[in-house]
Amino acid sequence: MSMLKKIDPALSWLIGGRRQTASQLLLLPASAWLACFMLAPIALLFVVSFAQRGDYGAISWTFTLKNYARSIDPRYFPVLMRSALYASTTTAVCLALGYPLAYFISFYVDKHKNLLLLLLMLPLWTSCTVEIYAWIIILGREGLINSLLTQIGLIDEPLRLLNRPFAVLIGLIHTYFPFMVLPLYSSLEKLPKAYIEASKDLGGGPWATLWRVTFPLTLPGVFAGCMLTFIPCMGDFLMAEFLGGPSTYLVGNLIQNQFLTAQDWPFGSSLSVLLIAVMMAGLYLQQTLEKKHASW
Amino acid sequence: MRPGKLAGRVYAGLVYAALYFPLLIVIAFSFNDAKRNLIWKGFTVKWYGTLFADAELVAALWTSLKVAATASLIATLMGLLASYVLVHHPRLRAKRAYDSALSVPLMVPEIILGVGLLSLYTRVCFDLSFWGLVCAHVVYCLPFVVWVVKARISSLKGHSVEEAAMDLGATEWQAFHKITLPLAWPAILAGGMLAFTVSFEDFVTSFFVAGVGTTTLPIKIYSMMKFGITPEINAMSTILLVLTLLLVAAYYFLNTEKNQDQLPV
Repeated sequence: MSMLKKIDPALSWLIGGRRQTASQLLLLPASAWLACFMLAPIALLFVVSFAQRGDYGAISWTFTLKNYARSIDPRYFPVLMRSALYASTTTAVCLALGYPLAYFISFYVDKHKNLLLLLLMLPLWTSCTVEIYAWIIILGREGLINSLLTQIGLIDEPLRLLNRPFAVLIGLIHTYFPFMVLPLYSSLEKLPKAYIEASKDLGGGPWATLWRVTFPLTLPGVFAGCMLTFIPCMGDFLMAEFLGGPSTYLVGNLIQNQFLTAQDWPFGSSLSVLLIAVMMAGLYLQQTLEKKHASW
Repeated sequence: MRPGKLAGRVYAGLVYAALYFPLLIVIAFSFNDAKRNLIWKGFTVKWYGTLFADAELVAALWTSLKVAATASLIATLMGLLASYVLVHHPRLRAKRAYDSALSVPLMVPEIILGVGLLSLYTRVCFDLSFWGLVCAHVVYCLPFVVWVVKARISSLKGHSVEEAAMDLGATEWQAFHKITLPLAWPAILAGGMLAFTVSFEDFVTSFFVAGVGTTTLPIKIYSMMKFGITPEINAMSTILLVLTLLLVAAYYFLNTEKNQDQLPV
């Protein structure tokens, strides 16, 4: 204990925060970690995306834009478009299903709000392999739906439910749904309830209030939810790998393939950089939207 | 009850049922006494027995636990420091940069960090094994720790407990370790639990980063899934789900308002 007393001034200097050096020093572990294991990998992908593929999958360091040109090659461009289509469909369905749920939790639930939110987040923390496995059991050729339908005599031949776009979309919607609802919920919570009452006092019916007051005011949340759904969806490769087939090959599968099978890391890197660019554009838009809203 | 509220309840019930239905199916069929997941044949726990007889699986479970424990410990320590500084040091330079850097891991598609770390590790010849996995997981755990701990530390600051201690003659260090730490303890533990869960369940990054020798449980499930469905996978998934449930429940109880507002005043 006396040891602690001796170094007390030093520790107090660190904790007290009167000196910039102390603050930066305390943040150093976290920031150094993120710099090494988050920023450095992304920066490396950026650099490698301009390099060339050498022999036997090695990287030859000559500057080229070929990797980016390849992404609009007719062989790969449809994959990018398909990913965008799947991600937008997932986002739209999640928004349509999620807004009413977020609205209900925010306006109609009093006591168990936190529990309901936690139950919503729990599937986020379950491993994605388990979730995919569940869908294989349910949709598979000898899965739950098919065996039920065969048993009650509705079908003779098992339906092909897996390995088609429908199955991939179901999986994506199920996985990314919570990402949509949480930001929607928090923007609905922030909404001053007086605005809604004012609208009703001024003769706005429930629908008019929802469409002309509540929804416009929660647009930042809507946008944040869409971003949080769309971006991870764009990078997903597991759903397409297990629930889809060749017709559902997505950009995530393409990236995985470049790194693990085709050994074309520069091309894989350029695809990753494209995804990061989409993310940055989205974040920028979100910030602009939030600023605009704040000035209302 | 207003009709709107009733409709809302029914709707919410349906959504939650749809959210949990697949997971419940996995759990239910882990107790099914049939080699194929077709029809209910009777209750059994034998798949759990075969699971624990499989040395590879037990090793995977052990690896997962070790990685998660190490990663969540590191993330909790760093996250605690970061949260404290972000709340208590008002003149911190580049505060917004730190705030956004700490939320980036939640935004970036996991595959990007996976392949990025794979590139980095191969380039600097960093051994792709235990520590490679830990370093990657800490990145994902950190935002969750900061999210939980920062909220608690700001609420303590709102109650001016540290200020009161220092008015009564405590040094800044004493105020921190005698007031802040004990009062923030449940939240710190809760943040650690969350970090543990995030690491324990992580698949995508681990898939790219883990070397041959370090197979975690989600990776093991993945490689077993490649060979089709077996009740053992159900049993293993159930163990994973139950562990998550326990951890998140612990997090919830540690982080409830009741637990937090026990200020000794």
